[in-house]
Amino acid sequence: MTIEKMTPIDEGFWTKPVNADEEIQLIGSKCSECGELFFPEKNKNWCIHCYKSALKKVLFSRKGKIATFSVVMQKPAGGFYHGGAPYCYGCIDIEDGIRIKSLISTDDYDSLKLGMDVELVIEKLWDDKDGNEVSTFKFKPV
Amino acid sequence: MKNLNEMRNVYVAGMGLIPWKVYDKEHYDFGSEALLNALNDAEMSWNEMQAAFCGSVYQGTGSGHQLIKEIGLTGLPIVNVENACSSGSSAFRLAYLMVAAEICDVAVAIGMEKMPKGPIPSTAFLPWELASGFNAQMANYANETIEYMEETGTTLEDFSRVTVKNRKNGALNPNARFQKPVTLEEVMASRVVATPLRLFHCCPLADGAAAVILCSEDKLKSKSRALTVAASVITSGVYGEGMMMSSTMASLKYPPKEGLVELSVRQAYEATGYGPEDMDVVQAYDTMASAEIWDIEKLGFCKKGEAAKLLKEGVFDIDGKIPLNTDGGLMSRGHPLGATGLGQICEIINQLRGEAGKRQVKDAKIGLAHAMGAGPNSSVTILKK
Ligand SMILES: [Zn+2]
Repeated sequence: MTIEKMTPIDEGFWTKPVNADEEIQLIGSKCSECGELFFPEKNKNWCIHCYKSALKKVLFSRKGKIATFSVVMQKPAGGFYHGGAPYCYGCIDIEDGIRIKSLISTDDYDSLKLGMDVELVIEKLWDDKDGNEVSTFKFKPV
Repeated sequence: MKNLNEMRNVYVAGMGLIPWKVYDKEHYDFGSEALLNALNDAEMSWNEMQAAFCGSVYQGTGSGHQLIKEIGLTGLPIVNVENACSSGSSAFRLAYLMVAAEICDVAVAIGMEKMPKGPIPSTAFLPWELASGFNAQMANYANETIEYMEETGTTLEDFSRVTVKNRKNGALNPNARFQKPVTLEEVMASRVVATPLRLFHCCPLADGAAAVILCSEDKLKSKSRALTVAASVITSGVYGEGMMMSSTMASLKYPPKEGLVELSVRQAYEATGYGPEDMDVVQAYDTMASAEIWDIEKLGFCKKGEAAKLLKEGVFDIDGKIPLNTDGGLMSRGHPLGATGLGQICEIINQLRGEAGKRQVKDAKIGLAHAMGAGPNSSVTILKK
């Protein structure tokens, strides 16, 4: 994997609204046999919970609550992450009944609390070496 | 499928350790020293070995072969084992199974690692997760820690006592990377690495190696020091359990009935007929101070949320009811990934033989070692006198 050429965050993770009044939503999979939800969308039609080929594309609610979080003081090793530090990520429990791992956007890390209401946002993560903006989904306190 | 207790007895013939620290030498240099120490300890000759399993994570292709070339190629099968932080204990299990299943009579398990510098560059994550910075393992533990604190009311000070206890034990271990105790104040004042965890809540890295020789009863040179492998179990991941270190998310719709650690330790208890009450000494998995607290609970030694209180009361001290991480754990020993799981087993061997020096637990007859590994893996080893 050459990091320079990789699109860091897959843009297929969220919808691209055509009209201004439409809101962006995360895209996932739902099993029509067992009801289990997956994010990101599974690229093969196979439910890893009930082992059936019964997955359908689904859009998730934009709203959730912070289940866990940590503010990380330094970038992890490996050179894969090109965003700023400190940064924050954690688990978000989405209304639909799925836990999603996400970066958390805030200007005030001290204000973050478990159970806090958050909403989906798309934000710039970094500029790549060609000057293109690389964006990702995050959740932000409401 | 055979149960472990239906197979023949397997004995610990010998073990070898070296000091764990930062080496200028390569893994095959210090790793082969650990192997020679084990050979010496077992009073065996090298050409008696019938199979070798070598655990490591970052050493690359044929790393075990490189190590064994330092001792001598005899035609014995060498298999390299990469199973993250449970590589050493996975190598142990494979060696154990070879002897138990009567495929060979003498097999050796090796774990070694020369660590890359800085935090661990885990690649057990998908590209988008790496790009998002989700491979910060200290932060992944921190996420689990904050959830555990919320559920149980355990505090940062409680976790800090794990570091204090383990560093105190490490001061009695001549092979530990850190042999100097720390105070509660020092732990609490160390810098934040990933909220709420601080630097002294994290185990340090180290280079290191360990080796254990296992054999059938008739191959033992000395029966007086021999120990029996009562159980060696590995389980790898259950559906719906959230383990951010291994990039698995909790299922809100289908949480598991039994977690991974609970599953592996239940299999070990069922194979031996023992329960937590039978263990005289325990090595739990203290990559983070908080991890030791929830690990000892998952292993069945107390209920969820009780470990911090027991720790404060001294139950987990060397002279306590459940001596825990008597060699200082990962927190003092340091964490050479591929060696860690086997290093834990070596401490149980030392304790049950009565050869643990200043950190000796009185009358230790049965002991348990537990290693986790990204993947996830959970490995449990029970040894008895
Ligand atoms: Zn399903």
